[in-house]
Amino acid sequence: MKHLVATTALVAASIAASGAAAQETMPISGKTCAELLEQYEGLPFTDVLPLEAGPIEVDGSTDEIVIGFSQTGFNHPWRIAMLEAAQAEACRHENVSMIVLDGNVDVAKQNNDVRDLIARGVDAVLLSPVESAALMPAARAVMNEGIPLIVMDRDVPTEKTLFIGQSNVTMGERVAEVMAEDLGGEGNIVVITGLQGSSPAVDRDQGMKNVLADHPGIEVLAVGDGEWIREPAVPIMEDFLTAFPDIDAVFSHAEESSWGAQLAIARAGRCEDGILHYTFDGSNAGFTSVRDGTFRADGNYTPFIGDIGMRAALYTLMGMEIPGAEEYGQPGVQLALPDSPTVTEANAEEWIGRGWGDFAPPLDPCQ
Amino acid sequence: MSETTPSSRPRDGAGTRSRQQIFSALIGRTGVLAALILLIIVSSFLNDRFLSVPNLMNVLRQVSIVGILAVGMTFVILTKGIDLSVGSILGVSVVLFAGILETQSMAVAIPLGILAAMALGLVNGLGVAFAGIPPFIMTLGMLSFARGLAFIYTGGTPIPILDEAFFNLGNGYTFGVPNPTLILLGTLLVSGFVLTQTPFGRSVYAIGSNEDAARLSGVPVGLYTTIVYVISGGVAGISGLVYASQLSVGTPIAGQAYELDAIAAVVVGGTSLFGGKGSVTGTLIGTLIIGVLANILNLTGVDPFVQQLFKGALIVVAVFIMARSSRA
Repeated sequence: MKHLVATTALVAASIAASGAAAQETMPISGKTCAELLEQYEGLPFTDVLPLEAGPIEVDGSTDEIVIGFSQTGFNHPWRIAMLEAAQAEACRHENVSMIVLDGNVDVAKQNNDVRDLIARGVDAVLLSPVESAALMPAARAVMNEGIPLIVMDRDVPTEKTLFIGQSNVTMGERVAEVMAEDLGGEGNIVVITGLQGSSPAVDRDQGMKNVLADHPGIEVLAVGDGEWIREPAVPIMEDFLTAFPDIDAVFSHAEESSWGAQLAIARAGRCEDGILHYTFDGSNAGFTSVRDGTFRADGNYTPFIGDIGMRAALYTLMGMEIPGAEEYGQPGVQLALPDSPTVTEANAEEWIGRGWGDFAPPLDPCQ
Repeated sequence: MSETTPSSRPRDGAGTRSRQQIFSALIGRTGVLAALILLIIVSSFLNDRFLSVPNLMNVLRQVSIVGILAVGMTFVILTKGIDLSVGSILGVSVVLFAGILETQSMAVAIPLGILAAMALGLVNGLGVAFAGIPPFIMTLGMLSFARGLAFIYTGGTPIPILDEAFFNLGNGYTFGVPNPTLILLGTLLVSGFVLTQTPFGRSVYAIGSNEDAARLSGVPVGLYTTIVYVISGGVAGISGLVYASQLSVGTPIAGQAYELDAIAAVVVGGTSLFGGKGSVTGTLIGTLIIGVLANILNLTGVDPFVQQLFKGALIVVAVFIMARSSRA
């Protein structure tokens, strides 16, 4: 009997302790509210759907509000930066907590995740889908339950409360325009894509092709799959350098792959060729590489829509109208984001610190 | 002719079989080597830069990460096992190298990273050898577990490596050969020696051929099986060293799906998935076949979608040819 009491007490104590620990650090990001609130000060879009700090009042009560967040996956720091922005907003309101689920870049898992959020009775769902069409059933299920649904980054072609997004196509166009101008409309380029078949890679490629259609003097010599990261880009670029004596630029869908390509250029002893880099991701490390001359342009794809999404959910729960929401030819309404300019040497200095991630770029082996 | 009719010389049966085995092993080996040579000849016609020294150096460096993994994998497959966790263990060692280098020197980071990889291999080995968990399941679990460790350690964000000496280790040359290639060759030589010249190595083959027979003849099967997984883990750590020092970034997704490339290299190199047959030399040749194919596809500008077709077809065709030649 004594044994049983002791065991029960121990179990109760450990549950209480883990509960207390959970309040201290947020899931996935592992950061405390104090750290996240400090980060909040540096977020670029806190003036979009502004919201005072403090408890959220819904119908005159400040009961606990639970917001579910189904993220594509947490395999890339960009996705974590987006989560942190949402967590930081939640930290500003004592009665708002989050349930965060990791979709593992798998549409089937994310469909299940969203249904789990419904089953757990969340007050609103933030969804950043793996794929557009595949998440339609889950999105419908949320709306059928009368739960507000805020879709972020990639859209879902079905009814929703609000879509907040950016276009990888137009961003691809902007970066390609900088490249076309630098090259004077003439030159040989190689392309290192993001993971082939993933929607941002497809869209960034489409944006580039739209621009190159107007510049027939720019020839794409070869295309390789950099998978968003550094390792595959190095051998691919080495082989391109071997095959092509004359390369003017590398158009890469990810900063990591661009750094890998630069490493290959240095190892091949081709730094003197002055091969230019055009890339995407919008990290502070990437902006630093633009400032230091390694990259010519960095597509500024901001993850700091997480906090806007959280505020949009809270606005909806409080019965407030979302200013700026407009029809956009898809079911539901969209909140158009203020433009994030492509970062080039002209504005790199001003953007360092306003991108995501707090890690340093690699040493440029050519400098 | 008389060798193929053992009934006429019954007392020679065992000798005949072993001679046949040697014969088929030779054909298997030369078959793989012939395939590599053929691929090199075809490649040299497809692109005139293929045979240039810088390109050949590139190929040797490009295959080093997966090649090292494949050497460790050879030990495991020879025991009739499989290690699906090597890519994830590589990931753990990569983030550890990066994390430790933030405050410590290379002399601390390198042994710690490799020891951690060996420790994960030890868990695999104990699970397989003493808890009776099938290797596929044990290492599948470790694949997920170790990847989780890498994500937790980094918080999902890559850790940059700014240590210049470490960078030079992965990107420098010794005697005109890229360091990663030397690390691959070193791993290969030591492994080849261990497998062919030590009682432990011969026991590895014995365990893979017939575990019960090996146990009855006094081989400490449990201990040796455990050691094999420790070797595979440790070798994944060495491969992680090459990865981290070349790329100077500790990313938690390092090495994802590399286990499949390593298994492909081992199998193309003629090592049997049913255990007991194969060699690290074959694995090196298998690694080179896959590496040369990737290189020539890039040099000739083949679309990345189509490249996957070639790689898949190569694996199946290579094993098909080997199966036929060993039956002959």
